[in-house]
Order: sequence, then C-alpha cells, then structure tokens
Amino acid sequence: MLSWFSRRHRQEDDIDAELRYHSEMLAQECTDDGIAPLEADLTARRKLGNATLIREEIYWMNHALYFETIWQDIIYALRTMRKNPTFTATALAALAIGIGVNSAIFSVVNAVLLRPLSYPDADRIVLLLTTSPGGRAPGGSATKFNVWREQTNIFKDISAYEYNGAQLNVTGGAYPEQIHSIRVSANYFRLLGAPIVQGRPFADDEDSPGGKHVVVLSYGLWQRRFGGDPQAVGKTISLNGVPYEVVGITGPDFNTELDSPPDIWLPLQLDPNSSDHAQYFNVIARLKPGVSTTMAEAQLQLAAAEFRAKFPNIMGPRDGFGVEPFQDALVSDVRSSLLVLVVAVILVLLIACANVANLLLVRAAGRKREIAIRAAIGAGRVRIIRQLLIESIVLATAGGALGLLLGLAGVRALLDVNPGSIPRIGVHASAIGMDWRLIVFTVCTSLLTGLLFGIVPALDVSRADVATTLKESGGRSGSGLRQNKIRALLVIGEMGLALVLLISAALLIRSFWALRNVNPGFDARNVLTLRMSLAGSRFQKTPQINQLIRDAIQRVEELPGVTRAGASYNLPLEGAFGVPFNIVGRVPTSGRYDGRGWLGVSPGYFDVFKIPVLRGRLFNDRDEAGSERVAIINQAMARQFWPHGDPLGDQVILGKGYGPEFEEPARQIIGVVGDVHDYGLNRNPLPVVYVPLTQVTDGITALAARASSLAWIVRTRVDPNSVSTQIANQLEQVTGGLPVAHIRPMDEVVGQSTARADFNMSLLTIFGCSALLLATIGIYGLMAHAVRQRTQELGIRMALGAQASQVRNMIIFQGMRLALIGIVIGIVAALALTRLIASFLFGVNARDPLVFIVVPVLLGGAALLAVGLPAIRATHIDPVDALRSE
Amino acid sequence: MTKQQPGRLELLQGTLEMMILRTLLLGPSNGYQIAKTIEQMSNDVLQIDHGSLYPALHRLEKRGWLSAKWDTSETKRRAKYYRLTAAGRKKLITEQSKWDRLAAAIGQVMRPA
Repeated sequence: MLSWFSRRHRQEDDIDAELRYHSEMLAQECTDDGIAPLEADLTARRKLGNATLIREEIYWMNHALYFETIWQDIIYALRTMRKNPTFTATALAALAIGIGVNSAIFSVVNAVLLRPLSYPDADRIVLLLTTSPGGRAPGGSATKFNVWREQTNIFKDISAYEYNGAQLNVTGGAYPEQIHSIRVSANYFRLLGAPIVQGRPFADDEDSPGGKHVVVLSYGLWQRRFGGDPQAVGKTISLNGVPYEVVGITGPDFNTELDSPPDIWLPLQLDPNSSDHAQYFNVIARLKPGVSTTMAEAQLQLAAAEFRAKFPNIMGPRDGFGVEPFQDALVSDVRSSLLVLVVAVILVLLIACANVANLLLVRAAGRKREIAIRAAIGAGRVRIIRQLLIESIVLATAGGALGLLLGLAGVRALLDVNPGSIPRIGVHASAIGMDWRLIVFTVCTSLLTGLLFGIVPALDVSRADVATTLKESGGRSGSGLRQNKIRALLVIGEMGLALVLLISAALLIRSFWALRNVNPGFDARNVLTLRMSLAGSRFQKTPQINQLIRDAIQRVEELPGVTRAGASYNLPLEGAFGVPFNIVGRVPTSGRYDGRGWLGVSPGYFDVFKIPVLRGRLFNDRDEAGSERVAIINQAMARQFWPHGDPLGDQVILGKGYGPEFEEPARQIIGVVGDVHDYGLNRNPLPVVYVPLTQVTDGITALAARASSLAWIVRTRVDPNSVSTQIANQLEQVTGGLPVAHIRPMDEVVGQSTARADFNMSLLTIFGCSALLLATIGIYGLMAHAVRQRTQELGIRMALGAQASQVRNMIIFQGMRLALIGIVIGIVAALALTRLIASFLFGVNARDPLVFIVVPVLLGGAALLAVGLPAIRATHIDPVDALRSE
Repeated sequence: MTKQQPGRLELLQGTLEMMILRTLLLGPSNGYQIAKTIEQMSNDVLQIDHGSLYPALHRLEKRGWLSAKWDTSETKRRAKYYRLTAAGRKKLITEQSKWDRLAAAIGQVMRPA
C-alpha cells in the first residue's frame, strides 16, 4: 500500500514536471513575440489546459490500461490452455480434485458450523446445562425448569421443549396418519421469533397442568390436513382419539433446526410446583440485552444453590447450572470431526498444487524461447511473472469451478446415502447448497491455489537469460539442474503428504472395523423393531399396557416365521433412562448411587436379542404386578457393585428421592445377564438394571409413554423385512388401530450408531485415494520427463555397452530414492500428527505398527509402478536414433 | 476529461497517436517539440490540443510503443524525451498503411475519377 502511494506520487511529480516544462516553453514563445511575462504565462496555461485534469486523465487511463493488459493476459492464458489440451486436462483434473474436496467439505462446514441459526438474534439464544466436575450436559426436569424460569434478571424468555417428541395418530378426516409432535412451553414461539400466520401461540393458562387441549400446526400440516383452510383456527383435530383445538399456524419458513421437524406443537403443561426430577426435555433461553454468558453462568450458580436448598440429594455439592450458545450446542459433537476432514482436504489440495507446479515446470521448459522473445521485445520480468501467474490463476479458477460443481454434487450424493448423523444438513442434505460463502470460499481458494502452484515456476522461468536461451536451439532448450531439483523436492513433498493422509485414513478404517467387530452383547440379525406411540391413548396405566403387550406378543408369536417377540421402551444402542438406585444394606456417601441404565422389558426381551443369562434366571410370565418384585442386573453392574460378593439375594431400591412417580419398594435381584453396549459401540457398558414392565409404577409408565414410545421387538426365522407387514397388521389390530411406525431391522439400528464413523471413514478413504493417485501421477510425470530429457545420455550409455537392465535399474533407483525420502518424511510427520485424530480412533493405537508398515509399503509399491513404466521405456531407447535426434 | 474548445478542430484520438509516432521517426523529442513539429509539418493547419498530447504520450508509452527518458533540452533544462521503440516502429507502419488505404478510399468517394 505504501509503495503504491509513493509510486503514485512519483508519477504525478513526473507529469507535473513535464507539464511545467511545456508551459514554460509556451510562455517563452510568447515573450519572444514581445508579450509581457505575466500575460505570456496566462496564455501558456490556457493553451495547455488544466494540469490537474490532465494528471487525473493520465492516472485513470493508466488504470484502465492495466486492466486491459490483464484482460489480454487472461485471453492469452486461455489460448495457451487450448493449445495444450493434454497439459490442461491433466492440470484441471488435479485442481478439480484438490479444490473440489475443499469446496465439498466447506459446504458442509458452512451449512453446519458457519450458517447462523434461522432465528432472529440467534446468538442471544442459549441452551441450559447441568454442570458437574465430570462435564456439562443439557437437559431439564420440571424442578430445574421452575428454578431457571425465575431468573428473569438474565433471561428475557425461557422455554422448554421435548427432546424427541412423540408420534401421534391423527384420526378422523380423509385418512389416518402418524405425525411428529413436540410439546413445548408457552413462550417457545416468541423466544424463537417464530412467524405465526394464523391465530396465536399458546397462552400461559393453556400451558398449565390441566390446561385446555390446544395445538399449533406447522404450515405443512395445515396445508396437508386442512388444505390451507383460512378458517382452520378454532377447528379441532383428533390426536390419538382426543379432540384438540387449533389455536395457531406457523409460517412456512419457520425452521426448528431440529433434525426431524415436528408437524404439530402441544403445550408442555409443566406444574410450577412439581417435584418431578425426570429429565426429558431441553431448556433454551434468550439472554437479556447486555447479559453475557459469563454473567448468566454466575447468576445460575446462585440458582443452583437455591435448587440444592429446595431439593437436597438431587445435585452434588460440586454440580451447578450453566449455559451454552444454542448453535454451539447443536453442532458441538460434529465440529471436531469436521475439522479433521478440513485438515485432510487441505493436504489433498497441497498435493494437487505440487502436482500442477510440476506440470508447469515441465511445460515451462518448452516455453523458455517464447518467454525470452517476450523479454527481448521489452516485457520486464515483473510483467512476465504477472502473465505467468495470471495463467496459473486462470487455470486454478477453471479447475475450481469444475471442482465446486463436482464437490457439491459429490458431497450431496454421499450425505443422501449416509447423513452421518450430522445436524443441520436438512432432509436429503437439502441445506447443503450453493451460497455466497461457498462461492467466495472457492474463488479465494482458487486464487490462492493459483498463486501457490504458479509462483515457483513463474520465478524460475522468468529468470531465464534471454541471450543464452535464444542462442540455444529450439528443441533442447531444456530444464536445468536447478529446475530438476525443485521438481524432485515437490515430488518428495507430495509423497510425504500423501503418506500422512493415507495413514490417517488407514487408522480410521481399522477403527471402523474394530467398531464393527465389537460384540454388542446382543444378536441383531433377524430382529425387527417397530415403534408405537401410546401417548394420550387408552393404554396409559401399567396394567393396561401389560395386558396389551401380553395379547400382542401372543398374536405376533403365532405368525409363521416368528420365533419370539417382546417389548421395551428402549432399544439397545439407543440409551436407557437414567434412574438412581440404592442397594439395601449399603449407605453410599452421597445417599444413593448415580442414575444409570434403567430398562423396563417384557419377558421375551432377552430371548429376542439372545442376551445370555449368566447367573440366576430371566423374567417370565409369573413375574406379575402382584408377585415378588424382581430385577435383573447386567455383568458390568455385578462387577462394579459386587466385585467379590453375590448379587443374587441382595435387593435394590430404584429411584428413591427422585420424585413421587418413582417411589417404589425394594426389588429382589434374581439374575445377571451379559453386557449390552447401550451407550454406543465405542463405549464400555455401564451398569444397567432391568425390571419387568408389569412391575413399574403408573407414574413411570406415564412418563415413559410421554418421553418415548413403545418398541416392539420380534425375532424371526426369515428375513425380518419379509414379515414386517403381517407383524405391523397384527399389532394394529390388537391395539384397536394404533399405527406402528419406524419399522426397522435391528441391523439398521446398529448401522445408524456407526453412521458418523462410517461417514468420516468413507470421506478419508476418498481423500486418501485422491492423494495416492495424485502423488503417483506426480512421480510418474517426473520420471517420464527425466527419461525423455536424457534420451541422448541414455543412448550414449547404451552405445557404450550399458545393459538394458542397468539403465532400467538406474532410473528406478533415482525415482525410488525420491519416493523413499518422501515416505520417510511422511512417516515421521504422521507419527507426530496422528495423535490429533486419536479421539476418533477406536481399538487401534494412533501409532499402530501394522498401519505404519503396510501403508508405506503400499505407497512405495505404487511409486515403484509409477517409476517402473518410464524405466522400462528407457530400455527401449535405440542408441542410434537417440544420438541422431540432436 | 479535456474540455473541447469552440472553433477548434478536434483530432481523432488514433490520428493524434499516429502523428506522434510519425514525428518521433525523426528522432527522440519532448512533448513541446512534438506539438510544435506537428503544427509546423501541417503548416499550422492542424492546431493540436496541447493538453490532450500528454495522455496520448503516456498511453503510447504504456503500450510499449514509446520509451521515455529524462534528458537535458537544448535550452539546458530537464525535459522528458520520448523515443520510438521497435514495437512502435511496427505499429507506425501498420497505422500508416491503414491510414493510406482510408485516405485513398475517402478520396475515391469524394472525387471519383
């Protein structure tokens, strides 16, 4: 900038001096004619015109000319590209891969991390958390929410919404349908700035216990069920057989940012005097103007003290409350894995740059004469460098445009097949698309890429000495020693980068297989799962539900192809309810043991999933509401709490002090079963207590029906998909028409739990293969060129008696030396870098010896192949032809 | 940018540039000398706008047809001297032949044989 100023000043001084001289000469002319000096001066000025205007005109003209010459350079660059179709195609392919993968990953980063939430002033919205020395977790209970909503000095608005919501059955109307509902507290819509196109959001009295049955419809449901009827507000909709009054309709563009957007909202109706500690919803709040998250957290510590005073024994003394920006909370678990992918694509781009720089150096050898001629007719070195850089940038921009289209299409196709459980990408990755950020990113990446791969060749070529180059004969104006050294360095760098990427990909692939090979503790093959919403239905109390389950299981087990059926609220790998417990006869320091897995199951559950019984017995039909209260624990719990003793014979009390719904007498432990990976395949099993569904309190049954839906599980003798329709029909009949939804084989549930790892692995595999391909092409190009360049020398060697094998080995040795140097550097770099992905690895060390041996050998093999071809070609050189060619 | 003065014959831009190149065929000169030379060569018929001379000179220099250098004038003053480059010489030849053809064609139209 400074130099630009001084240059402009120097130019203007120059023009001023020039004009002054002219004007003085004109004045001199007048004085010579006998005109008075003062008048002569005026005449001269008049004749010359306004000096400032002239200066300005020259200044602007220079700029226009500058852009004109840039345009000429661009046209020239395009012409050069067209004249060398092979070079252009190769370079474009490398650049399209390099920039394309960057655009692809950026499009995901953009949609997930950068794109602001679609709410007004979304950066003021926070998610409330419960903090403990072990970490911070979202989620609220009625008791916590009631404390939080009193913090009016930090929160402008606060609202609860259910995690998952429930599937409700719309009856009546033209056709029955299962819709997705979420229960929210009254000011949810105001907090998120939701547009209401008809009617109003919930009133406060509708959000109180026993409030009216009202709903807010989504725009889609309004169009679908009511045909967009402008009189829909005030009408009723029948949900699970109960009439609800429609009070409002949201606008079409109200995006909830939830992965499965609801069709309908119901009031949560939390009791302000509740003592229910069950966590089944999230709480968001809008900070008051001027309140920072730090200030909010400080205030929430006071709230935590208040909560502890009100409900002793629920929160530990070091636990507290906190907030996290809502957007960060939505994407927190995907951020780090996206950053790994960002690093990977930058490596691919660097390899592509090295590749194209190499191509340019080869081509530059043939262009030395052309450049020298340009220099001879007066183009300065800067001008020549500029022209060469413009050529690189034009090339990179073309490659970038190609890459953008390919990358975007590729990533959308990939996400459509496997969404990788990435939040905010929309249905079928619809949120991933072209927008200004992506275009700016691609353009900047292309410009930078062009400069990066163009600068070395441009500096190198422009250094050419005009006289020597022009004196040299056309054909052999070859590349010098220095240029070969640059190219060798580029190839070494490519090899090193490719190795780092390949090792990372290989480590992730090993993790993935390790994950696949984890014994989940249950048999997922030939198991069908079906979900059924009981919320608001006539099956609300424990005896009713268990009668239903008994009837349904009997009917389903009569079907041909079915061996066993069962029911539960939770499927393996989908987590369980956290309910604290006590062991009779023990007094832990905190008064009770922390909430761990609680699973209500029907007797068939263990048979369906083939969960082995290790000690004691399983539940059977005689474990009824009135009989002895029983529980089964898993091996992890037995190991942790009875390391030396026998759990059979001891008793547990579940959910003591957790609210009235949970209060129940002690249970006899009657069995120990094998561990199931309920919290994901990559986590160790936690202690779990199983209780028969017949023996849970009405309170828990109601809560479970509200927070979750009932999962039917059926083991089949045949492909579970082939009998899914009959099973669904039986279930609908026996329940009197409750629809089943979410019919999936258990294999699919398992697959979904590894979806993210699968997604990361497939992308890194693609990147690794691109890197391998580019690096191999790079070393092939270098050696093929070297052989062409040295045809004469090789010819002489062979004429003097060198064996073909000697020539071949010499070329192979020279090529492989570069490859091996690159590989060694890559191994060292990988040893240092792979710990960055350690947290994504499972069952494999970040310095896994197998990976660090096999991958370099593979890359070396590919390099050998790439070096071998030109080496073999070298042996076919005819000495006579080679010598004559000069 | 430059103001047009009433009664003055405005030269086409290309024509002025061509004439500048032509005068420089005689040897390097400064802006004042170029203006004077053009006026004298046309027997003072062509009155060129001294102000528009300089943008034209700079444009020709930028295009690489002229090179410029500061030197001492015959009046012992510092002045910027312009010199025709090889590319400028080539440009002059093409411009000259274009002009000749144009002039001949216009002549044919205006005064048919």
